[in-house]
Amino acid sequence: MGLIGSYNLRSMIVRKGTAAMTAGGIAMVVAVFVMTMAIAQGFRGALVSSGSNDNAILLRKGATSETVSAVLRPQLPLIEALPHVARAADGHALASPELVVIISLPRKSDGNPANVPVRGVGPLAYEIRSTLKFVEGRRFTPGTREVNVGRQAVNRFSGLGIGSDLKFGAATWKVVGIFTADDASFESEVWGDVDLMQPAFQRNGYQSVTVRLADPSAFESFESAVVADPRLDLKPSRERDYYEGQSSTTGALIRIFALFVTSILSIGAVFGAMNTMYAAVAYRTREIGTLRALGFSRLRIIAAFLAESVALAVVGGVIGCILALPVNGLSTGAMNMTSFSELAFKFRVTPGLLVGGLVFSAVMGALGGLLPAIRAARLPVARALREI
Amino acid sequence: MKFAGLVVKSVRRNKRRTTLTVLSVAIAVFLFSSLRAVLDGFKAVSAASSSTRVVTLRSTSMIFSMPTSHEQTIRSTPGVEDVTYANWFGGIYKDPKNFFGQFAIDPVSYLRMYPEVILSDEDKRAFIEDRTGCIVGDGLAKKYGFKVGDKIVLQPGIPVYGSQDYEFTVRGIYRPGASNIDHQSMMFHWKYADERSTIKGQIGWFVARVSNPDQATKVALAIDQQFANSAYETKTDTEQAFTAQFASMLGNLNLLLGSVALAVVITTLFVAGNTMAMSVRERTTEIAVMRTLGFRAATIFSLVVGEGFLVALAGGVLGALFARIIVNAEALGLSGGFIPAFGVNNFNVLVGLGLSAFIGIAASLIPATMASRLKIVDALRRVA
Repeated sequence: MGLIGSYNLRSMIVRKGTAAMTAGGIAMVVAVFVMTMAIAQGFRGALVSSGSNDNAILLRKGATSETVSAVLRPQLPLIEALPHVARAADGHALASPELVVIISLPRKSDGNPANVPVRGVGPLAYEIRSTLKFVEGRRFTPGTREVNVGRQAVNRFSGLGIGSDLKFGAATWKVVGIFTADDASFESEVWGDVDLMQPAFQRNGYQSVTVRLADPSAFESFESAVVADPRLDLKPSRERDYYEGQSSTTGALIRIFALFVTSILSIGAVFGAMNTMYAAVAYRTREIGTLRALGFSRLRIIAAFLAESVALAVVGGVIGCILALPVNGLSTGAMNMTSFSELAFKFRVTPGLLVGGLVFSAVMGALGGLLPAIRAARLPVARALREI
Repeated sequence: MKFAGLVVKSVRRNKRRTTLTVLSVAIAVFLFSSLRAVLDGFKAVSAASSSTRVVTLRSTSMIFSMPTSHEQTIRSTPGVEDVTYANWFGGIYKDPKNFFGQFAIDPVSYLRMYPEVILSDEDKRAFIEDRTGCIVGDGLAKKYGFKVGDKIVLQPGIPVYGSQDYEFTVRGIYRPGASNIDHQSMMFHWKYADERSTIKGQIGWFVARVSNPDQATKVALAIDQQFANSAYETKTDTEQAFTAQFASMLGNLNLLLGSVALAVVITTLFVAGNTMAMSVRERTTEIAVMRTLGFRAATIFSLVVGEGFLVALAGGVLGALFARIIVNAEALGLSGGFIPAFGVNNFNVLVGLGLSAFIGIAASLIPATMASRLKIVDALRRVA
């Protein structure tokens, strides 16, 4: 492959204008692919990282999300009494009864109101969600109208800064702390005391209970213990699985859109590559004839031209990946269809996605180069040599 | 114009290349027109939304409900002509995946408020008379094969509505008279759902018609003031403002779709420009001969631009035509609710054609300049 490889590579450099344009077309496709998938990736990531494998969430049987679930007050002590639930140092069960309601707040960017989830949590919620860290202020004091706000929510909506008063549920709440949660969906939420949220929103009972498992591997036995108790008509799930499911509707929508657009766009780019490679074969008819006369087999010729096309496309792929990189970490928001509220998340350009982009470009190169390469290999030697 | 034949000849010179280029442009125009159509779909909804209707929701958020007593207060607000109300049902039809809008409404006042919901008088009467009757949009009827007289069973998805299944009889299939009405929704009697609710007399939102559209914001404010400091504070907006807010929650569509469209155009420019450059390079000798024969540089320039224009326009026609046929609301059968029905219309087609003409001309500018500035002597000496 030594001689023929360098021959093809050098011919590519000779036609730098054409090569650059072909690579440019492929670069755009790969950039669009990586960027749109980064949105899907970021959205899913924000929800999945909300869930921990050490935790379990209990919802009403048949409920697909917290919004449509209900847990009765008397059920909480029954759950807390289960031996599978981890205990804090003082012996309290690590269980947080929760309630999520949606309030409307004006967006900073355009002043339009958007839905923001408000989560009422139990006093031990911060022990259960160990990824939560305070960047400013302190936790709310249970029993008072104080709330904590996620960093993304502070950035996206006005009037959530520390010390500001928030009016909802016929009461005024004071923001006393701002937290981060490794980019998880909690960062888009407002957290306060569940026992004060209930009357404020005229709710009786909770929507879900999240518990820290004493032994994360014993989830199955926890599940059967819950199911065995007729007083609990609840279904436990691993917290991570639950949030994974929550991301599926909107996540799939974004992914379908990304795939639809990029696959159509890539057909155009493949045609472009095909044109270029056909031209390359036509220009070099005599050279190909010579190579064949020297004894290079048809297969070698096919491989060489395919390699040229793939190399060209991968160069485009690399450029596309570089073009798409700056969006990494950019934060944006989209509506989560399962909770009806706006979820802030960051574009995530993961290494896997970049590799995917490169593989995608290589596939485009191979598809575009195949027919021209076969044509090159099929050229009758005698006629090819005569060609000027 | 007398050189048209020459342009056609050069287009047909390398048929395979021309075909590939035409197809790439076609794909670009197809994508571009479809993306425009999606954006237009959203715009059409807010444009068709009436400015004489105001929507009243709970100020905290749309997921909370209000007591029925609000109706009288809103009705007696000066400037209000008529009031109706509705509630979101959120039931499950067989499988949670079968998502469509289900609204519990007060049939008489709701249909009076929304004349855009087109229903024959006969069906309207049948629907109003049957407490468990429902009407479905023509799109929904097509999707699930609902016919008048069919039974639809919904499993309640929100705990407030209890846990027993609800059975409805289809009494009519409505046609949307404007794009603010979703053609894949289902509407039924609010009373039927209320009877079995665990909390009685709850209303999701009120819609009021104001007599003077210029007064709409003022009336909206007046409505909200009457409920200020009560346990059920409200937020009233014109229907237009309301739909705009809802669309903005789906994310920044304009930006996202806009940048994708831009990428489409740039990619195609690369592909088409490349082809034109190749085609000119191939004909270097030929162009030199033409110059020798007395063709002027400007003529050569317009010949090449004409070629690019013709190829791209052919692609544009193909792509736009395809988009017009494939991407229409009916063929796609998109589920209603959050994403409005959309389809490529004649205007999108025109924009697509304009785009292809632009691509053709822009892509051939550099090759055309190259060709017209060719040094005859050098070009003639060059061997292919």
